[in-house]
Amino acid sequence: MSELIKVKQQGEERCEGISYQNLLDEETIEVPAYLREDTNPYMGDEDISVDRWISRDFHDKEKEKLWPKVWQMTCREEDIPEVGDHHIYEIIDQSIIVTRTGENEFKGFINSCLHRGRILRDCDGHADEFVCPFHGATWDINGEFKGIPCKWDFSHLDEKDMSLPQVKVGTWGGFIFINFDENCIPLDDYLSPLPEHFSRFPLHDYYKGAHVQREVQCNWKVGAEAFMESFHTLETHSEILTFTGDANSQYDTFGDHVSRSVTPMGIPSPHLPHVTEAETMRDILELSGRMATDSAEGHEMPEGITARTYVAETNREMFSEIIGESLDHATKSELEDAILYMLFPNTQVWTGYHGNIVYRFLPNGDDHNSCIFETMILLRYEKGTKRPDSAEKNILRPDQAFSEAPEIGGLGPVFDQDDSNMAAVQKGMIASRKGAVSLASYQESRIRHLHQSIDKYLNA
Amino acid sequence: MTTTADSLIPATDITDNQTVAVTVEGKNILICKANGDYYAVDNQCTHQRAELTNGRIRNCYLACPLHGVRFDLRTGMPKGELTRVPLKTYPVSVAEDGNLHLELD
Repeated sequence: MSELIKVKQQGEERCEGISYQNLLDEETIEVPAYLREDTNPYMGDEDISVDRWISRDFHDKEKEKLWPKVWQMTCREEDIPEVGDHHIYEIIDQSIIVTRTGENEFKGFINSCLHRGRILRDCDGHADEFVCPFHGATWDINGEFKGIPCKWDFSHLDEKDMSLPQVKVGTWGGFIFINFDENCIPLDDYLSPLPEHFSRFPLHDYYKGAHVQREVQCNWKVGAEAFMESFHTLETHSEILTFTGDANSQYDTFGDHVSRSVTPMGIPSPHLPHVTEAETMRDILELSGRMATDSAEGHEMPEGITARTYVAETNREMFSEIIGESLDHATKSELEDAILYMLFPNTQVWTGYHGNIVYRFLPNGDDHNSCIFETMILLRYEKGTKRPDSAEKNILRPDQAFSEAPEIGGLGPVFDQDDSNMAAVQKGMIASRKGAVSLASYQESRIRHLHQSIDKYLNA
Repeated sequence: MTTTADSLIPATDITDNQTVAVTVEGKNILICKANGDYYAVDNQCTHQRAELTNGRIRNCYLACPLHGVRFDLRTGMPKGELTRVPLKTYPVSVAEDGNLHLELD
């Protein structure tokens, strides 16, 4: 066994049941190269101290050395469709006015008046110019200073650079990213290999069909990690085991900033013997929340067809009808599997021809014990028709269930199950006498990868 | 007591994301259309009493042209920190003759 690859889905230590790569061998359509990637270098098995999630000191280190250095997703381009539209992006104690300044041009301004320091814009919206609500100092939307009332009293500012300070801005997939670090690596390098892996999924052409946000009482990493392994399916989402190959998932890491999990769907869990193909088909349609239909009524599988094939073909036909385009080139995997990428540090995006789900976990201001969880669903629309408007963000109250957000459909109840762990993990880590967590070598390798990448920034 | 104002303006005179200021019973009211529905609010921002006539409507929110406070046209509730006072809203409907019909308290 290679020293670097101690544990792998195809290695000696693996769960019974068909592997993802073997499922790809059964595809009747040419499998794109990105799905054939299978890379999981061994990263160690040491316990990880709970301090990384619960200590103020660790949060302060992230505040000082992580967030000021990483590219971070702020919003969708479609959220600020017209010149002058802006989104206020807040991270810990920093505030940025992400502004559309041209048809395809965006700028990020430090949201602080150069006169007395008040934030210039209180909330998302539109402006022809930025007028400070305190004394009226004004900048145009490109950040050039236009003046302040009683200019006679400010002649000492004439020699000063009064342009609004900016952060680096970049776009990919219809998302707008910012980086506070003037000397950061280019966004394209940071994202690699994400753009290549998403080449069949032009996210910039999709529209945001849903956007739901809620505060969760856990560190932002606890939240993110709830979506980085399928190991928890067995205990947390047992009702979906009839159609989820949880322990046969593949986990990959690509450089420091990207990782991926692929959980085969339309096959039963290796933990669950004696599931019939008909049960798999019925449950995936009714419970997954991601298939083309959420009812199994009227669906009868022809003799000799597997649930995986039947559901993929149903999705192919129905998705194709919705978007008015052929999906003949789509693999079964891309039509039904859970293929979820993480972009370091806190954004996660699904590939596939169903709605592309996006997760983001932000620290809740300067509190290390809570975070803001957001999910968006990016949808395709019929070719040749007008792009639908971007969905308004639905901010749930902290006491509301995700299943109270009808726009995310079947995902709501699943998130509620995940939610039942998130705050409880934070609480349990604080109570822990062991003071550390022990990760599965393979199935939780993406979590270790996240922490090792964080360390690269904290130790830089 | 409810005062109603019929025959305000023809409903077709106002298009989506547009505003029309009208005076009813001495009150300056702003009629708005967003996502195909009609709304009526006080034409005065609750932050600094600026007129909202040139405010921009997107996604059912009316933004004050002065400092950008956004009001939800459905409820009058403001977003952001500049004001916590909601904008007064009035029921408005399309009458049988095609004109907008407004109810004042």
